[in-house]
Amino acid sequence: MILDLHTHSEASEDSRAPVETYLKWLTRKRDVLPVDGIVLTEHRQWNPNADYRELEDQYGFLILRGAEVETDYGHILLYGVNDAIAQRFDFANVRLNAQEVVSEVARLGGIAVPCHPGRPTIGLCEHYATKPPLEGVVAIEALNGGSRKGENERVQELIDRYHYRSFGGSDSHLVSFVGICATEFDHDIRNGDDLVRALLTGGYRPVDFRDRLRQGT
Amino acid sequence: MTGLFEHIDVGHELQPLRLTLSSEQVRAYAQAANMPGGRFFSDEAARQEGLPGQIVPGNMSMALFSRLLAESLPGMSIKHLSATFRAPVRPGQPIVVHGVVIEKHCTDRGDLVECDLVVENADGERWVTGTATVQLAAGPTATAREP
Amino acid sequence: MALDFDRSILGTEFDHSVHPAVRQTDIDAYAATVGETVAAPGLAPPTYVVSLRTRHFLPPNMPNLGQVGFDAGKDIDFGVPIRVGDTLTSSSTIHDIYEKTGRSGSMRFIVLRTVVTNQRSEQVAVIDQKMMFR
Repeated sequence: MILDLHTHSEASEDSRAPVETYLKWLTRKRDVLPVDGIVLTEHRQWNPNADYRELEDQYGFLILRGAEVETDYGHILLYGVNDAIAQRFDFANVRLNAQEVVSEVARLGGIAVPCHPGRPTIGLCEHYATKPPLEGVVAIEALNGGSRKGENERVQELIDRYHYRSFGGSDSHLVSFVGICATEFDHDIRNGDDLVRALLTGGYRPVDFRDRLRQGT
Repeated sequence: MTGLFEHIDVGHELQPLRLTLSSEQVRAYAQAANMPGGRFFSDEAARQEGLPGQIVPGNMSMALFSRLLAESLPGMSIKHLSATFRAPVRPGQPIVVHGVVIEKHCTDRGDLVECDLVVENADGERWVTGTATVQLAAGPTATAREP
Repeated sequence: MALDFDRSILGTEFDHSVHPAVRQTDIDAYAATVGETVAAPGLAPPTYVVSLRTRHFLPPNMPNLGQVGFDAGKDIDFGVPIRVGDTLTSSSTIHDIYEKTGRSGSMRFIVLRTVVTNQRSEQVAVIDQKMMFR
């Protein structure tokens, strides 16, 4: 099963992508983007009332929700967000304590995983050069579809050194970028709990569809 | 008789603009667009503001989006245009301005198509991203230019 | 904690400008610089509207967001086209203020909303301009 674990819809201030248009695009591009679902990771927010079940039924894609928060170690994706996690942290705070986020989100039933680690200022690599490593990190986004030249390449050293598992996401802010990078899981994911469990236990890897998309095959 | 709307499909790529803006062109735009900021006129003024050198105004990138749409979808009119300036565009650097149709709909406002738009550099880094909603010309006269 | 500021400044008009009548020479000069085309003679290209200079570019009562400001993006809803001879009026308000972090560090954003109308009170454009400060 293949999921794009990092997408932004128009709920994020810097994205212009309606969720339904993402699904129409993926339906249309299924031969080159064999993605079974997406995780919406809106910037600095959690909307407890967002409900995409109708769209899931209509288009046949899994739609899960997470969040991208901002910390003193860069940006971190949260999966398995629940009321307890949403109440524990002010998602709009751009100076969250990363260690607290990783530890507390895990304690409350979710998982917190650093994204685009190779990016200057907001990526883990730069922070690990000057600060101690975070405890409890199990995976990092090794493949980010919005990275610039050299940014994804910086991540391998971190994976080798700390034995992190790796996953991928498009970081799409526009419809036509959804699914270009994603994560392939060995087992089916049906809901947020499955996703948290899978990310914790392993059996997944990043997948890159950019060449296939370019070639249109 | 069918018009452009029937002929273009979701996934249709707009004819890309490949260009390198000169320092002079950028100055001319800034002048014509009433943008007095020194960063648009010289490297020296831009460096005083902490920039690596003269930069292209964001508005000029939006104008390039508008040109891309006008050349690729003749007779269209833009209803909505958005742009996010993710990194400074510099004169003297080759850029590609491209776009793709991501959605079509018939509405009471007419036949509309939605496009994703990008200005990227030679390495494929997305410096400016945007979207447009355009209303296509009715009738058989307009023909989309193929990339 | 989100950025702290007096939220009562949101939505209040900080600029009201009446612009000189649009001249063909202004349109020609603007369009020539990027090769933007017009739908018909006497009409301005769509993005010509961003060339209007308001009296106050930034609100005088703006919170201190940083030393250097950059254009971070725009959203433009287009209404009727601008024609030669139009006298345009613009009204600007602060629409939003927020903070985030990116490749260049901590950034504060102000979103300015400008509504442009013509002499017939027809809406020409609604422009949301995002300025980034650091």
